[in-house]
Amino acid sequence: MLTWGVVFALAVGVYGQRALGAVAVDTNRVGARWRRVLDALPITIIAAVVALQTFSASGELTVDARVAGVGAAAICAWRRLPMMVTVLVAAAVTAGLRAWS
Amino acid sequence: MSVPPAVRRLVLPEGTEFATGEAMTLAFAYFTVGLSVAVLHVTDGTSPLVMLGSIFIVNAVTPTLAYAAVTASGGSMIAGVFSGWLVSTRFGLFAAAIAPRLWPSRRTRAAAAHVMFDPNVAMSHREETDENARRVFVASSFWLVVPWWVGGSIGVLIADQLGDPKVLGLDALFPATLLAIVWPQLRQRDSLVMALLAGVVALALVGPAPGGVPVLVAATASLLALSGTR
Repeated sequence: MLTWGVVFALAVGVYGQRALGAVAVDTNRVGARWRRVLDALPITIIAAVVALQTFSASGELTVDARVAGVGAAAICAWRRLPMMVTVLVAAAVTAGLRAWS
Repeated sequence: MSVPPAVRRLVLPEGTEFATGEAMTLAFAYFTVGLSVAVLHVTDGTSPLVMLGSIFIVNAVTPTLAYAAVTASGGSMIAGVFSGWLVSTRFGLFAAAIAPRLWPSRRTRAAAAHVMFDPNVAMSHREETDENARRVFVASSFWLVVPWWVGGSIGVLIADQLGDPKVLGLDALFPATLLAIVWPQLRQRDSLVMALLAGVVALALVGPAPGGVPVLVAATASLLALSGTR
């Protein structure tokens, strides 16, 4: 259950980290090699988030209907289907499997 | 309904990878994510007003979920807040990654920082030129944040009527959207290797490490780019 105190504490931490990242980097002084590392960050972070959101829940490894849903989304993305189709298929497969089992 | 051309150019930047279909998907996904997160917290006992405040002030999905997960499993409020901070460390990294491509002014970047989520940073980052990265950041942030606020607000209002968002498979929307966004980049071998490594590392740390740590450690897979030839 969230309270105002918790919301403010979370907000300070979340915005603080966002702002720190956004202003701490001196855009002109990042060398080419480190620029490549910064460039790679979004893909590794998103890969980690996707893996966790697919295979874990509440801090434990879990295999449930989501795995099938995200798997179906991967197939759609691989077949270059529109993003909206990909996302809807993921939800539909997940919901369908839950209704069926 | 006619849209002024200047506004149209701002929210649908021509000549970039960001297409209308993606804008609609982003809007749909974050509307539903906002809806389900609000429903989840309100049915969990959070007062509607506090939830509304959280949507605008915290302006992120995972920190409040992490807090709820920790406190629901018996953790203290402090542990919950700490866990919320920890899962948002990735926003700091994201911000650092995209910052050099956005505005030179630190003040502008600090203002933009409040709306840095996962998809809009990833979408801006796909652009070749910094100019287009900036345009896509503005456009994708609009299509993400406004629906998230609207969806969240509606969720707060109808929480009592709506059942479990899981029945509709809505918990698969978030990973599926992110996957669809980064998929084109995975065709590049270096990116694929780093992404797979990051995914495996993150999963290996689930359980022993507190929430947020797996993503943080997985992000170090980016260091492989130091040895890359690209």
